[in-house]
Amino acid sequence: MNTERIDRVVVRFAGDSGDGMQLVGDRFTGQAAAFGNDLATFPNFPAEIRAPQGTVHGVSSFQVHFASSDILTPGDAPDVLVAMNPAALRANAADVSVGGVVIVDPDEFTKRNIAKAGYVSDPLSDGSLAHLTVHQVTMGALTLGAVSELGLGRKEALRCRNLFALGLLSWMYGRPTEVVEDYLRKKFAKKPLVAQANILAFRAGWNFGETTEMFAVSYEVPAAALPEGTYRHVSGNAALALGIIAAGWVSGMKVVLGTYPITPASDILHELAKHKNFPVLTIQAEDEISAVGAALGASFGGALGVTTTSGPGLALKSETIGLAVMAELPLLVVDVQRGGPSTGLPTKTEQADLLQAMFGRHGESPVAVVAPSTPADCFDAALEAVRIAVTYRTPVLLLSDGALANGAEPWRLPVIDQLPDIRPDFSTEPNAADGSGTHWPYVRDQETLARAWAIPGTPGLEHRIGGLEKAADTGAISYDPANHEFMVRLRQQKIAGIDVADLDVHDPSPATTRTLILGWGSTYGPIQDACRRLAARGVPVAHAHLRHLNPFPANLDDVLARYERVIVPEMNLGQLALLLRGRGATHLVSHTQVTGQPFKAGDLEAAFLAYMEGVAA
Amino acid sequence: MTYVIGAPCIDVTDRACVDECPVDCIYIGERSAYINPDECIDCSACEPVCPAEAIFQADDALEEELAFVEDNARFFTEVLPGRSAPVGNPGGAADLGDIGVDTPLVAGTPGR
Amino acid sequence: MTTLDEPLQVEGEQQPLSGLAMVPRGPQGQKPADYRSDQEVRWCPGCGDYIILNTVQAMLPALGLKKENLVFVSGIGCSSRFPYYLDTYGMHSIHGRAPAIATGLAVARPDLSVWVITGDGDALSIGGNHLIHALRRNVNITILLFNNRVYGLTKGQYSPTSNQGMVTKSSPLGAPDAPFNPVSLALGAEASFVARALDSDREGLAEVLSRAAEHRGAALVEIYQNCPIFNNGAFDVLKEPGSERRLIKLAAGSPLGLGEPDDQGRHSHLVVRDGGTLRVVARDEADPAQVLIHDPADPDPTTAFALSRLSAQDLSYVVTGVFRAVSRPAYDDDVRRQGEIAAEASPPDLEDLIFAGDVWSVPTHRGASA
Repeated sequence: MNTERIDRVVVRFAGDSGDGMQLVGDRFTGQAAAFGNDLATFPNFPAEIRAPQGTVHGVSSFQVHFASSDILTPGDAPDVLVAMNPAALRANAADVSVGGVVIVDPDEFTKRNIAKAGYVSDPLSDGSLAHLTVHQVTMGALTLGAVSELGLGRKEALRCRNLFALGLLSWMYGRPTEVVEDYLRKKFAKKPLVAQANILAFRAGWNFGETTEMFAVSYEVPAAALPEGTYRHVSGNAALALGIIAAGWVSGMKVVLGTYPITPASDILHELAKHKNFPVLTIQAEDEISAVGAALGASFGGALGVTTTSGPGLALKSETIGLAVMAELPLLVVDVQRGGPSTGLPTKTEQADLLQAMFGRHGESPVAVVAPSTPADCFDAALEAVRIAVTYRTPVLLLSDGALANGAEPWRLPVIDQLPDIRPDFSTEPNAADGSGTHWPYVRDQETLARAWAIPGTPGLEHRIGGLEKAADTGAISYDPANHEFMVRLRQQKIAGIDVADLDVHDPSPATTRTLILGWGSTYGPIQDACRRLAARGVPVAHAHLRHLNPFPANLDDVLARYERVIVPEMNLGQLALLLRGRGATHLVSHTQVTGQPFKAGDLEAAFLAYMEGVAA
Repeated sequence: MTYVIGAPCIDVTDRACVDECPVDCIYIGERSAYINPDECIDCSACEPVCPAEAIFQADDALEEELAFVEDNARFFTEVLPGRSAPVGNPGGAADLGDIGVDTPLVAGTPGR
Repeated sequence: MTTLDEPLQVEGEQQPLSGLAMVPRGPQGQKPADYRSDQEVRWCPGCGDYIILNTVQAMLPALGLKKENLVFVSGIGCSSRFPYYLDTYGMHSIHGRAPAIATGLAVARPDLSVWVITGDGDALSIGGNHLIHALRRNVNITILLFNNRVYGLTKGQYSPTSNQGMVTKSSPLGAPDAPFNPVSLALGAEASFVARALDSDREGLAEVLSRAAEHRGAALVEIYQNCPIFNNGAFDVLKEPGSERRLIKLAAGSPLGLGEPDDQGRHSHLVVRDGGTLRVVARDEADPAQVLIHDPADPDPTTAFALSRLSAQDLSYVVTGVFRAVSRPAYDDDVRRQGEIAAEASPPDLEDLIFAGDVWSVPTHRGASA
């Protein structure tokens, strides 16, 4: 048996939503991480909890891209597809790269299952997979044999089939096995029989690879050259939750999360609810409106009010966010975007809430908007959003998305004492300019324009705030025309004046590059990957990625002016492009895709080339 | 704070205010009506209905009205002529009926 | 004082815990004027809201709290102007959402006495969902529901407590909606404290309000309040002569009656149990064994609900006082306690949290050579 050394591989596990594909994907990822590869993952699951078994819309998959070098995306096309049934094959086969490997269980290809998957003929024999290398492994039968000694029922025994598949892939790529077995022992500590069955199936898969002559080679993907540091594997939602906890920690503010379950944001609640030993209180509210209301109420009390949602929930929260704008209280609103409008594509990704975040409230109601670019970056983005919210007493919209939320990558862990300094700086002394010894809640810091913030319990500073227009300084209700004009402009000016980092440009040859790719949010990986591919072809392009959508970095206009052509790829119909055109940019190309799936680097590479050659401009 | 009935009520006692008061805190003496400052809720219902324009808010009292701010209170806190105890805060004028006497200030005001 | 970091220690408190147990005590000798803000009150002349404001300002000193630890949160509507007129902390929020905002505040700050000021439209129409869930959860807040059975601020449309058939600008042919009975609704929503008071009965109102504030958990007080502009006199029959034949004042532990008391203090009519329901009968017709002795602490809300049904929309009978006052865990206490227990078991450390799970190290040399 030969072992071949390769740089990278993309593996996709696919099966029924009850087949445990997310679990094995997750474990395979853990193995890659433990081995020291760089990696990126992309889970993809149906919106239904248990769609009819064996049908295409019940298929769940998990893609892992791991490599010996720095990688940025879960990979465009799988090199290996493990399809547990005909439906999984049908839903995924077209994605597999030419010459790629497909592993199927032939026993699953019964007439009934083939028909259920929507095939008219058996794909294993009709030649439709001729461009692929298909391995038929009777995973179910082999699993049953492996666990037979335990005396489990057939159904229970077959549930371990996914671990057989993982064992086989582990052999194929020389993955460490201990981490998987340890995990299974821990996870099923209370059901030792189940743990044992899974371990036996896992080992059987490995042994099958070792002994069969079906596979000519196994592969080795060496460890990657990641920067020095301590790492862990993290999903976007988990990183975001940890970022929120960290923000509470460094600011000394109690975190109060008001939220309502919604895909794909619920995992942030789940993660935060696990860490109640921190000053983190979670309120699962009766609806989205109540959720943001509770967060704002907590903010009024001097806590760090946070609410997490997805697009439909953000729509419901808009009135309360408007109140936070008027009351000038810190509030972190996390929108994990999904396909819309309406219920849309709950489990798929999109970036189409940018304009809702910017403008989706009545009146002139500016808020700060930040967007993380990778799963691990969600941690830093959360801290940055809280820094802005607390420093400037404003709601901040954090726009994550389905791809970031569920995608995962190695996270280089931060140095705790280098986390940003966030201070609420509560008022404790009267500030009334008329010498009355009272508190005027709308007296401002001259530099940040942040208002004075006195929290209940502070003696002598009793005051009332609310949604009615405020007189400058005193905060009394005011219907005065000139005051309203002043306050509307002031609130706008406060947001526009938020201090944000300049936009970094990654430009391989600044003297000659004429094209800039400008992205935001989760498109970072595919764009950067596409840019690297272009550079390797000798067609360098520059890449800049916006963390701050409102306000934009101060040097944005300068950066745009430096290039002849700016291509703006977005998973929407050109929302950032619209904002940039509103600033006067005219040399933009808006490249958009709304499939519910992330961009593929190869597609972007081709598109950028076409625009540059004038073919598709 | 409270509303107060001033001199123009004397010998008029129209009682339109009594009908308006939601807490029934306007009491009738002999020549004038009096607002109980502890019972008044400052809602201003009485003020616009007075045909004599006798009612004003204590805080807005003019120089010549100041005496009546104290005098309205005195009607309830001091023992009025012919009575054994102050009127106090009975919590409603209707049950009491007309008190039938005035404070010395009102009683001593010459008739028109 | 602010206690964002740790809740106040409660020592020597008797069970059940007071709703104000963790709120710091203020100076002695407070006066109603201490609770008046510098804002000019802007309700219509004669509005029942003035009476409620006045009563609240008169009753707060007796609670003896630090006024900086009081917060009044309101929604939108005439009544929701209330916080502006009290010299405490306050928030005039958005329509219907005050219970949600108050929930977050109460969870974050056990050292505050949190009050919600709302009206029939605010609480029962646009904010109905938040009201029932705040009651169900038993958040430690005191909710004053000003019920004038009409929309005031939007100028006179019928509300969810208006009489069916009421003619308003939005219902020229009569309102087709059937009204809510707010006390029944609250009891159905598992409220642990429910009371009703009349704006015209300041003494009764003050007593119910202080009991509501002392209650640990969500306390709902429905206050019948006159709107002199759009629904004037809606409750006049309750203050006119003969009202004693309509008003049933709840008092714990004594036979429940109504009607002018005789020289021995006995009511002319009594409330009796009749199968699963309650009925009013003349005293001499009442079976003594069936006369209702009111027990607000009854864990079973059935009788309280029957009492709420005795109160009719047409005011033929109106029950006032405390329907139900039972002790059950307050939501915010439980939420905080979970955190305290978790923190004791595992003291929080950010570094431990972040460096948890399967971590691995990449040393410098590997990075340099690979």
